[in-house]
Amino acid sequence: MSPDVVVIGGGIVGTSCAFFLSGAGLKVLLLERGALASGTSSACQNGVAHVDDGIGRLLTMASTRLWKTIAPQLPVDPELDGTGHLFLAITEQRMQELQRTARLLDDAGMPCDMLDAQEVREREPHVSPAVLGGLFFPEDGKLQPIQATFGFAKAAQVRGAELRTGTQATGIEVGPAGDVLAVRTGNERIPTGAVVDAAGVWSGSIARMVGLDVPLIPRKGHIVVTEQLPHMLDATLLEVTAFEPVSEDATGLVLGMCVAQTRSGNVLIGTSRQVVGFDCSVDGNVVRQMTERCLRFVPELRYVHAIRSYAGLRPQTPDYMPIIDAPEQVKGFFIAAGHGGEGITMAPITGKLISQMVTGQPTDLPLRDLALSRFTTVPQA
Amino acid sequence: MAEADKDLLICRCEEVTQGEIEAAIREGARSVNEVKRWTRAGMGLCQGKTCRRLVERIVAQETGQKPEEIQPSTHRPPTRPIELEVLATLGED
Repeated sequence: MSPDVVVIGGGIVGTSCAFFLSGAGLKVLLLERGALASGTSSACQNGVAHVDDGIGRLLTMASTRLWKTIAPQLPVDPELDGTGHLFLAITEQRMQELQRTARLLDDAGMPCDMLDAQEVREREPHVSPAVLGGLFFPEDGKLQPIQATFGFAKAAQVRGAELRTGTQATGIEVGPAGDVLAVRTGNERIPTGAVVDAAGVWSGSIARMVGLDVPLIPRKGHIVVTEQLPHMLDATLLEVTAFEPVSEDATGLVLGMCVAQTRSGNVLIGTSRQVVGFDCSVDGNVVRQMTERCLRFVPELRYVHAIRSYAGLRPQTPDYMPIIDAPEQVKGFFIAAGHGGEGITMAPITGKLISQMVTGQPTDLPLRDLALSRFTTVPQA
Repeated sequence: MAEADKDLLICRCEEVTQGEIEAAIREGARSVNEVKRWTRAGMGLCQGKTCRRLVERIVAQETGQKPEEIQPSTHRPPTRPIELEVLATLGED
């Protein structure tokens, strides 16, 4: 029996789509050319984080709520902890910026608390005495992205989805009326009426199979992992968001402190962004600067050992927001791609929206700002 | 597999047993990296220095692949644990 829908991509976004689509009663086939969570979903940070404004705020607020209801249902524990995100200020200027942000977000109805130096250390005793204060987001959290991906995948299987790893989609057949007819994997032709492009940083190559151009570039991010430590950090500590670089050099390298302890006890240290193609090699210079940045905020980590570092590619669109769309050019082709550094956070709402689009239901959020056409349509004068 | 082998610790850092690794292979893991993502074997302090070869052998045995066909696991820097203070100043004059 041929599948109702073929999802291409076995990362956290693709498996979430498979989870929601199979939950809507569709017969789902998921194709992954490597192994589950073998790309960006196993080479990222672990934050479930808010975005300050616009469609990003709607997506992250809805998705964080979904995570809380889905996590306990998954057959593999995604280790979701609602421990919050804490933005720290080490300069007076930064402190004022955080206060401004707090007022704006408060007006917009996003829960956040401005903390003074003492309140920061009551909450996180290991933060440097040099920190002047912070802005705490209680709704944010963290999880284990690989286990979350496995959780979605296994739950989708239980709901009847078929997962084929080690299987690359090599072509998509579109009929004369412009509708999806089949997916090809080498010699095999799989008839289907719907395809979801959830191939993350490689989504562009899938979209090109149906003649669509997805403007998406890989942005490389480094992580350093420490040895396992007794519990010392509750919240995820950050100095800035990925949109406000602390420093930026000619190669487009942006750096900022982001520190989170996992349930296993390892501390993950980030964060960096660089546009250097599909190269995933670890750059010692970036690792050094990131680590130095982190020690400014959590000096006690000085004598802790790093055991591993890695880099992953974040699929970035020109406006940093994902493409969640059913472009009108190809009937039955759906895009769930370009989540940047927010794929972990936005996976549930993305899967849900895609499922609503494929089944023709009203969507939870307006899709206009997530459409592919926002990058191609010439704005009206 | 002999019943006694099931509880044999393969990855001592993360305390992963032979039974857990075999279960991951039954779930579909076909390489050392996949076993690592399912079980954490090789994710600990020694980063698989002790268990990597053992996991390769179990994957080969359970999947009927030849040991040389098993995809080697990814090695990531630093190759041995290094204090963050040292890492933060590496390469500086």
